[in-house]
Amino acid sequence: MRKIIILSTLVLTVLACTEQKNDIVSVSGSTTVLPVVSTAADMFMKQNPGSKIIVNAGGSGVGVNQVGSQRVEIGMISRDITEKEISQYPNTSFKTHSIGRDAVVPVVSSEIYNAGITALTLDQLAKIYRGEISNWKELNGPDKEILVIDKEAARGTRHVFMEIVLGDKEAQASGADLVLGANNEEQTALVQSDAALGILSNGWLNDDVKGLSIKMPDGTLIEPSLENIVNNNFPITRDLVLITNGTPTGKTKEFIDFILSAKGQEIVVKNGYVGISK
Amino acid sequence: MSRKVKNSLFKSSVYLASFLSISILLFLIITLISKGINAVSWQFLTSESSNFGSQGGIIYQIIGSLLLTLSAAIISFPLALGMAIYKSEYIKRNLFQNITNTLIYSLNGIPSIIFGIFGLIFFVNILNMGISWFVGGIILAIMILPTITLSSYQSIISIPISYRENAASLGLTKWQVIHTIVLPRAISGGFTGLLIGLARAIGETAPIMFIATAFSGVTFPNSFLEPVSSLPTHILALAQQATNPQALQNAWGASLVLIILVFIFSISALIRRIHYSKVNY
Amino acid sequence: MWASQNKLGKGYVITSTYVSIAITLLIFSILFCYSFQAFTEIGWRLFTHNWNPATEEYGILPMLYGTLSVTCIALLIAVPIGVLTAIFTSEIVPKQYRLYIKSAIELLAGIPSIVYGLIGIAFFSTWISSWFDLASGRTLLTAGILLAIMILPTIITLSDDALFNIPKKYREASKGLGFYSYEVIQKTIWPIAKKNIAGAILLALGRALGETMAVMLLVGSIDKIPDPFYKVISPGQTITSKLGREVGESAFGSLHFSALNAIGFILLLLVITLTVFTQIYFRKKQEAL
Repeated sequence: MRKIIILSTLVLTVLACTEQKNDIVSVSGSTTVLPVVSTAADMFMKQNPGSKIIVNAGGSGVGVNQVGSQRVEIGMISRDITEKEISQYPNTSFKTHSIGRDAVVPVVSSEIYNAGITALTLDQLAKIYRGEISNWKELNGPDKEILVIDKEAARGTRHVFMEIVLGDKEAQASGADLVLGANNEEQTALVQSDAALGILSNGWLNDDVKGLSIKMPDGTLIEPSLENIVNNNFPITRDLVLITNGTPTGKTKEFIDFILSAKGQEIVVKNGYVGISK
Repeated sequence: MSRKVKNSLFKSSVYLASFLSISILLFLIITLISKGINAVSWQFLTSESSNFGSQGGIIYQIIGSLLLTLSAAIISFPLALGMAIYKSEYIKRNLFQNITNTLIYSLNGIPSIIFGIFGLIFFVNILNMGISWFVGGIILAIMILPTITLSSYQSIISIPISYRENAASLGLTKWQVIHTIVLPRAISGGFTGLLIGLARAIGETAPIMFIATAFSGVTFPNSFLEPVSSLPTHILALAQQATNPQALQNAWGASLVLIILVFIFSISALIRRIHYSKVNY
Repeated sequence: MWASQNKLGKGYVITSTYVSIAITLLIFSILFCYSFQAFTEIGWRLFTHNWNPATEEYGILPMLYGTLSVTCIALLIAVPIGVLTAIFTSEIVPKQYRLYIKSAIELLAGIPSIVYGLIGIAFFSTWISSWFDLASGRTLLTAGILLAIMILPTIITLSDDALFNIPKKYREASKGLGFYSYEVIQKTIWPIAKKNIAGAILLALGRALGETMAVMLLVGSIDKIPDPFYKVISPGQTITSKLGREVGESAFGSLHFSALNAIGFILLLLVITLTVFTQIYFRKKQEAL
């Protein structure tokens, strides 16, 4: 009896360990890329019954880690892979596939926007994140402490923003008051506050969460509009990227091709980003 | 201060504190039910979630949660039973009893997030099992092991000595005694413990969020090594978008369903406990 | 037949016992092994203020502070309310209703922490920000209050047991002396029950230390000690919220991962010492009775 139990447990374990993930494509990573991929996955699965695409959030850092440790087929990232990350996974040859373009936009609570703060210079942003400016009053806004929202260290949005604003993608922001993760979470904090400044992907702006224009040194204002992202006028832009280990094959390839197709690119545009074909 | 004043001060603080506690508890219940009931409908319970969970229902989250708890129960019940019997029937030395007790209590005290990290290191990375519901089931099983063991053990040691004496006088062997007298009690007590354990396991987020669950695209798993979605991790994703009214509404709905599942387990445990405490020997 | 079953049965119970023991030891050793790199490579620099994986700085003081302050706030709120409520349920409520109240409270103790997190985000954080006129309601205080509510049922039921189990005759004797009910409790009941109530509080403390989801959503998650340090209406970070947010982002096997394991291991030691101490203390008392 006991032998049977042990045997069957063993068999089960072996089964559990050897079963192939045939038609399943796992994706994880950036919450900026997530809406595109998750919608695309739904459509793809409808078109190809029997295939399964599992999508998980977590941030660009998680995406790189899981592709690096070959735990998922596709990673979603909204920044470049760092040297350090590449060196951490010598057995993985990261291959990138751009699927769209996005801007990282400094955003404020609608109260601040309506009080007249609609544009900031990169230098002002840097001072706020360094903690040198801590009240909206100093920027001719209302007399309110700025609630500076930072993001978790490995998040793509943060890397891109800090690279341009503070000069180093992993710079510490000593002026920060809150550290949050997903775009969703940050959007919520911005709406709940009346004096917040945060950084969000262009796809997540709405009436309660207003994107600021960037005031260039020559005095021109550049809005975070799709047009300014396309022609690269907006100073903080980035590619939305899928990464794989080596050249994708099978269902993974089919899925990436689907996102790059006209239909897939429509999803990219619908989510507030710029398609890659343009 | 006179004794009388002190006494009435004390009394009023007792009433004030109780009033506070009761209003907090009422607030929780009323909020959860009233917010949840608006979201729950037959369609909500039976359709897939879409658009980050802010639309659609929670069918695969319910299935995932049940799958996780079911596998936890299957893995942990026999282990706990064996340990309870070994502890009560075979370990005679006090030192050994103390060692096993300490180990069980430590296992019981481990914070849930630590189980998650352990699962991530050991099962996901070292054994390379990937992110899967099976790993989640194992981790939850380990987590509820002490509850079942202790409950089963308590039930065994409450067997009156006279039963064993009678059995011994009939010339039964040790295993016959265990089989006829100890085992039924162990199973019964263990089952109560299992229900308590499952009530805890089904609501846990931290142990499974790194190792067992995925965000979207999950349907019924075809193998041991696929992730599932679960109610607690779904609520976590929705709570982060709490200013999106649709997402929030679905979060309340999922919470109500989760709490009902928790209560089904814990009320059954409570009923069993009250019922069996009335059984006298 | 019986002989072989005897062997089989013994084999089964022994195996399951050793498997369970092995698992428990495995959890400790795995956690220790994977934090070992951090302890040796970072060493005493773990106990500094700055956490920045990019520059390989791993200071855990803000997390320790956050865990400590959030737990203290929770206990400061939950202990008086909980113990006084327990006096109400055990001394004042008629016996036939007590079981219902207790069952209701025990059920509430089972509400999953993620649900508390949701309630916290939807209500508490907005309340706190408007009461204290803060820009954000995600603070150490918010997390502490929520934790207090989460451990309240534990404190109430266990303290209630401690009080209720004291035989009636003590109360009657002491009432016979003409004591007010306050004095009955202060002079007669409290001295007997206080050890068990202390045990209840220690158990609740253990739960509060390890609580993750609700705290993670509400504490603000910034690795800073507020200035001045007692200003708990500012955001902070606890050990559990740090782990919950960062473990997925760190590469398996990196120093960053090891440093996270190290704080996990410290938390584990803290909680386990507390639980084991409480259990041994309880057992000794039970044996003495």
